[in-house]
Amino acid sequence: MRDDELRALTGACAKCGTCRTVCTLYPERKAEISVARGKIALIDAALEGRDGNLDAVQEALSDCLLCGRCERACPNQVLVEEIIMKGRADVARKIGIPAWKQALFGKVMPSPRGRDAARAAASAAQKLFAKKIPTGSGLHYRFPEAFGLAGRTVPKLPARGFVESLKPGEAATGDVMLFVGCVFDHVFPKVGRASYESMKASGRSIAVFRDAACCGLPAMVSGDRESALRCAEENVRRLRAAEAEKIVFPCGSCLLMFKRNFFSLIPEKHPLREDAVRVSDRCEDYASFILETGVVSRLPDPPEGEKVGEIGYHDPCHLSGTLGKGAEAREVLEGAVGSGFAEMKGADLCCGYGGTFNVRDYDTSARIGENKVSLAAGGGTRRISTACSGCILQLRDMAARTDPSLEIVHIAELVAGALSRR
Amino acid sequence: MNEKVISALREIYGERLKTSLEDRICYSYDATGKEFLPDAVAYPLNAEEVRRTVLLANEHRFPVVPRGAGSGFSGGSLPVRGGVVLSTERMDRILSIDTENLVAVLEPGVVTETLKEEVKKKGLFYPPDPASLKFCTIGGNLAECAGGMCAVKYGVTRDYVLGLEAVLGTGELVRTGVSTVKGVVGYDLTRMLVGSEGTLGIITRATLRLVPLPEFAATLLAFFPTNEMGAKAVAGIVEERITPCAMELMDRTAVDCVRQSADLSLPDETGCALLIEVDGQEATVAREADRVEGACRRFGALEVRRAADAAGRDKLWALRRSISPAVRKVNPVKINEDIVVPRSRLAEMFAFLSGLAERKSLKIVNFGHAGDGNIHVNVMISGKDEDERRRAEEAVEEVFRKTVELGGTISGEHGIGIAKAPYMEMEVGPLGVSVMKRLKSCFDPNGILNPGKIFLEEAAVRR
Ligand SMILES: Cc1cc2nc3c(=O)[nH]c(=O)nc-3n(C[C@H](O)[C@H](O)[C@H](O)COP(=O)(O)OP(=O)(O)OC[C@H]3O[C@@H](n4cnc5c(N)ncnc54)[C@H](O)[C@@H]3O)c2cc1C
Repeated sequence: MRDDELRALTGACAKCGTCRTVCTLYPERKAEISVARGKIALIDAALEGRDGNLDAVQEALSDCLLCGRCERACPNQVLVEEIIMKGRADVARKIGIPAWKQALFGKVMPSPRGRDAARAAASAAQKLFAKKIPTGSGLHYRFPEAFGLAGRTVPKLPARGFVESLKPGEAATGDVMLFVGCVFDHVFPKVGRASYESMKASGRSIAVFRDAACCGLPAMVSGDRESALRCAEENVRRLRAAEAEKIVFPCGSCLLMFKRNFFSLIPEKHPLREDAVRVSDRCEDYASFILETGVVSRLPDPPEGEKVGEIGYHDPCHLSGTLGKGAEAREVLEGAVGSGFAEMKGADLCCGYGGTFNVRDYDTSARIGENKVSLAAGGGTRRISTACSGCILQLRDMAARTDPSLEIVHIAELVAGALSRR
Repeated sequence: MNEKVISALREIYGERLKTSLEDRICYSYDATGKEFLPDAVAYPLNAEEVRRTVLLANEHRFPVVPRGAGSGFSGGSLPVRGGVVLSTERMDRILSIDTENLVAVLEPGVVTETLKEEVKKKGLFYPPDPASLKFCTIGGNLAECAGGMCAVKYGVTRDYVLGLEAVLGTGELVRTGVSTVKGVVGYDLTRMLVGSEGTLGIITRATLRLVPLPEFAATLLAFFPTNEMGAKAVAGIVEERITPCAMELMDRTAVDCVRQSADLSLPDETGCALLIEVDGQEATVAREADRVEGACRRFGALEVRRAADAAGRDKLWALRRSISPAVRKVNPVKINEDIVVPRSRLAEMFAFLSGLAERKSLKIVNFGHAGDGNIHVNVMISGKDEDERRRAEEAVEEVFRKTVELGGTISGEHGIGIAKAPYMEMEVGPLGVSVMKRLKSCFDPNGILNPGKIFLEEAAVRR
């Protein structure tokens, strides 16, 4: 394996050990192989040919949530997330990617039609195999242990996605483009809808980005850079043509892709680079848009009945951490629910989802998540709001496991709720 | 290590024994950035497992290397002769905090900051505060006799140890010292183990002394045109009969390596910054801070700032703590020295260092605990240029000679390990080394514990 670019990135690590202090996984593993310093040493060993067992290296690199806490704590600003993702991709190029992932990332995710079909199939499977679980956040299904989903609770998939539910011609053009994201389109169309309706309150004309490809993050974190690049290129081309002034993201992870990971996939010399920079510059998070356009100041006062401090905010690692947008979401919440919002215990702890991490080690993912949710509930929070699709999937599952009356919502649902009282 | 030994170890540790190449790579380095592969890694949970391991090692003659967080700067935890690394990270319980006798009992894998935070909740203070406190372990601190920022007022790890439990190189479990403030029964085996770098015994439990938590603190940041002026101010403050709990010096390059990420602006002519903290009672703290500020100005400070609140203080300290890893921005390879000279000779040392850097055309970054005369002299090299490396080695040797000449010591807190083994005799002389070796053979006759460290002929590698 050779990769001079990667080598240059790992070379900045001083092996001091700071990453141990913030790693979400370290308290679970209590082993150096779980932290950035260890993984960087492994990547170096693989690059130099000192470790030829690439399957084992990949296994170790996969054992990471990519929460980025180490990167933000690192005194040398080592780009750990980029290093891990690039490491996974380099190794994957040598040892391959599982066929099901290739099909999913390469075929289904870039295509809007493909995703519609996938949701329909999954929805049917859900009804056949899983048990119904009512929770504070609506109906969920719990898969039996034997199903390979290890007792996960997943939301009941809707018959139609948010984009499908739009009338022909509705939200077709506008100055501002809403990038819904796969999950808020297909799994939680209510969030897609709430984002759209509340953004309309800005008075700007809002278009929904109908032929979005997947943001590419699931492929990217799985080491499938080719598929991730395909998604990125598709999105850049389609968004360039649309010429929106702003592109708004209800999901922090999708936004991370556009704000940061794009530039790893589409480097300086890439023909789409200029377009990618232009598109990226126009991207922003939902909360910032709502604040800038004055929607918050136009919200009616929260009703008397709202219980003080019942609503908390969970900081998505990428949105609050990497992109530094924690304050904006809180300001929106204060506008939407007033004293109903209070700082939640352990707000900035990672939810433990980590995308593919949750798939490969559900038990650990669940321990981290349960701990998070119990901490919040113990501090008096009854509704956890957030702004990332992965976090919502995880927090709902964790609530179902620990305290099903706990509600998990997207901040856009609270803003839309407040608007509906006007 | 053969299969038989591995399976005997597996009997002790089960799943907690790791032999895959990947696991071993992750215990092959420390903060020196050097790498030596161990044959196996084990995570003991108690003294009995450690004892059985060392007995087995005596039977089969393999090295046993204790490791805390691997944050050492002299290669102490590197398995230079292979063998098994015993990582104490899972022996991390605080067993008791006795608020009547001001004593804490704990396992070696407890992270220093965790101990500090836990005793703080009870209004108590465990002073040692190496810049690595967020991740280094008490076991590693004891084995290196770690210092830190507040050593100038509160002393170092050694000053807070009352008693230890340790497995010697023979596999015997020894309990040393006391759990009282005093105790003079026989030789001071406790202090013998402190700073022994894992070569005499593996510490499995520690009884540490605590003090009441100072109620108030004030933090100042003063900028000076040169290191020499900063050093003179340090001596000047002490002459005022004030003992700040920290006086950290950072040269211009060191500050530049961290200030972007912390958003810190500097007066243009800054050549050196002093971070000074005074602690104690509210009234005295305010008065002493004023006097420190006055002294800094008298000694030519360009500007003196004060942290407004606790958050501001934390920010300044976080900045200081990130310097050591961040100086890699200057050049990728760091030759990290840890000299101490009498405070009154600091200015002279700095003058020598700037001359040296010029003479050898090397990049030298200096920062450290100026209050106690401890300066981290970091020769930053590219690592690719043989001539540069040779000049760096010559420079280091000159620094050590100058240090000894000024009445100082070549390592204040990082220890000898492999990094400084070649220079030890320069300071302690042949007899000193010989007495130490005789002691080593009492504690560890078969040379099981952390072989290849401290003593030159055993040092497997020079830097
Ligand atoms: C950013 C940074 C800043 C630092 N700042 C300071 C500072 O201000 N002051 C300072 O003094 N040091 C400092 N250090 C150096 C280092 O953190 C200390 O030497 C620390 O004491 C090492 O602790 P550790 O747990 O990492 O031990 P390790 O590095 O794992 O081991 C150090 C030595 O202790 C031995 N050891 C570990 N555990 C045991 C045990 N249970 N029994 C017997 N031997 C054992 C090892 O064999 C080795 O010889 C710094 C390091 C870094 C990376």
